[in-house]
Amino acid sequence: MKPEFELFDRREFFGVVTKTAAILGLAGAARASTEGAGTANPFAYDVSRFQKTDPKLIAYEEVTRWAAPHKEARRLAIGPDDQLYVCAGNYISRLSRSGQTGLELALAGPACCVAAAADGTIFAGLRDHIEVYDAKGGRTARWESPDPKTWFTGLATDGKDVFAADAVKLAVLRYDRNGKIAGRIGQKNAERNVPGLIVPSPFLDVMIHRDGLLRVNNPGRHQVEAYTFDGDLEAVWGKASAATAGFCGCCNPIALAMLSDGRIVTCEKGIPRVKIYSAAGEFESVVAGAESFPENAHACNDLNDCIHGGLDAAVDADGRIYILDIVTSQVRVMQRKA
Amino acid sequence: MDPTPQSNGPVTRRQFLRNGARLLTMTGLGVAAGALATRSTAAAWVWQIDPAKCLHCGNCATQCVLEQSAVKCVHAYAVCGYCQLCTGFFAPEPNELTTAAENQLCPTAAIQRAYIEDPYYQYSIDEQLCIGCAKCVEGCNRFGNGSLFLQIRHDRCLNCNECAIARSCPGEAVRRVPADRPYLLKTTSR
Repeated sequence: MKPEFELFDRREFFGVVTKTAAILGLAGAARASTEGAGTANPFAYDVSRFQKTDPKLIAYEEVTRWAAPHKEARRLAIGPDDQLYVCAGNYISRLSRSGQTGLELALAGPACCVAAAADGTIFAGLRDHIEVYDAKGGRTARWESPDPKTWFTGLATDGKDVFAADAVKLAVLRYDRNGKIAGRIGQKNAERNVPGLIVPSPFLDVMIHRDGLLRVNNPGRHQVEAYTFDGDLEAVWGKASAATAGFCGCCNPIALAMLSDGRIVTCEKGIPRVKIYSAAGEFESVVAGAESFPENAHACNDLNDCIHGGLDAAVDADGRIYILDIVTSQVRVMQRKA
Repeated sequence: MDPTPQSNGPVTRRQFLRNGARLLTMTGLGVAAGALATRSTAAAWVWQIDPAKCLHCGNCATQCVLEQSAVKCVHAYAVCGYCQLCTGFFAPEPNELTTAAENQLCPTAAIQRAYIEDPYYQYSIDEQLCIGCAKCVEGCNRFGNGSLFLQIRHDRCLNCNECAIARSCPGEAVRRVPADRPYLLKTTSR
């Protein structure tokens, strides 16, 4: 007769207990990992792939960096002899290429933008007006505000004309050297086929290109526009996209600079990055990607509509690109990789 | 004047019963009033999301006891920039700025895009389609001015005693608000 029960000996008993415990443990671990995966947001808005730049696209490396002479840095420009002009707080500081402060202008209000002519004349953009200083820092003129709402955010000069970008009135004002307004560029005008500047946040820039045309960023349209000094729109380029070759967010690019061969350096906020395009607008390379500016990237997550984030750039005669990080008030010197 | 207090006389059976009846009546009235007050207080409060605390985590779409969440996206038109490239509407890398499905961020195509004038567009929420996932809210807050935000819609909410979304909200953004002011609307950016 076959026995109904077969008794375990001690060794078999411990073997069965060990196997059971192992199976239960594995099942528990599997469930825990499944639960962990379940906590991931299936609706996540993922732009992480744009916050890390493909190393193959980065053509520049940082040589050095220094702090801006004052806090709340906003803009920088290159003047004669490759001297740097930095707007920070209520000051405009003239720095050597190594970052040593020379001249310093103390203004009555925040310095919003600056341009320097070949003869050393400094044009200082305050929020609603422009002040003119000689090379030694003596004020020679104060050009009255063209409009109570004016907010100058960009300046450029060829020595004869001064172009001032007004981010609120959505125009680039053309001044003569005496401060008289000679024209308004970029304002919507169907007859001249000018679609108009769209500037959701106060970042409107203007630059004089070596081809004799102005370059103006149109951040709301994610484009760079080329105008004659008389305001005729000659060319437009730029694509809206968070991808590296495009301009991201609601309003980019925010600042422009030019390399000696005419290629254009663009700066963006939101996904803070500095890139180079050909004069015709073909994406070429990245100077510094979002991973280089973690504080700046974080600035757009705060409750400030990214107004306090952003970058600016200027290029010296040797092709070195100076990047101003508005959030950290640091200037980085970038040099093309060998 | 006699400084010693006067002692009470013995309580009669009638007085004892009368006092007892009064005590019971008062106690009963108190309990009833308390119950009524509690019930009316519960009805006077409803659940709502504080947009300033919302982390756009996606839990609102999945944690509500309703099959389709009571949470919907709401649009503050006064705050909106009417952007051509709305980061709440478009996927981060759209092929082009059109309403083609592959360009849209919303998993249920619940945002309608209408041309206003060059280059402005109006964005409105189709609440029948919105599942409250906050994907558009994150996009709008990250690169825009935060005009898209989530609210619990009280025509759908069951006003559970313990809100399942509130229990799982990592930002502790879901709280009780007075029923006569049931929405926490945005009036300024962010």
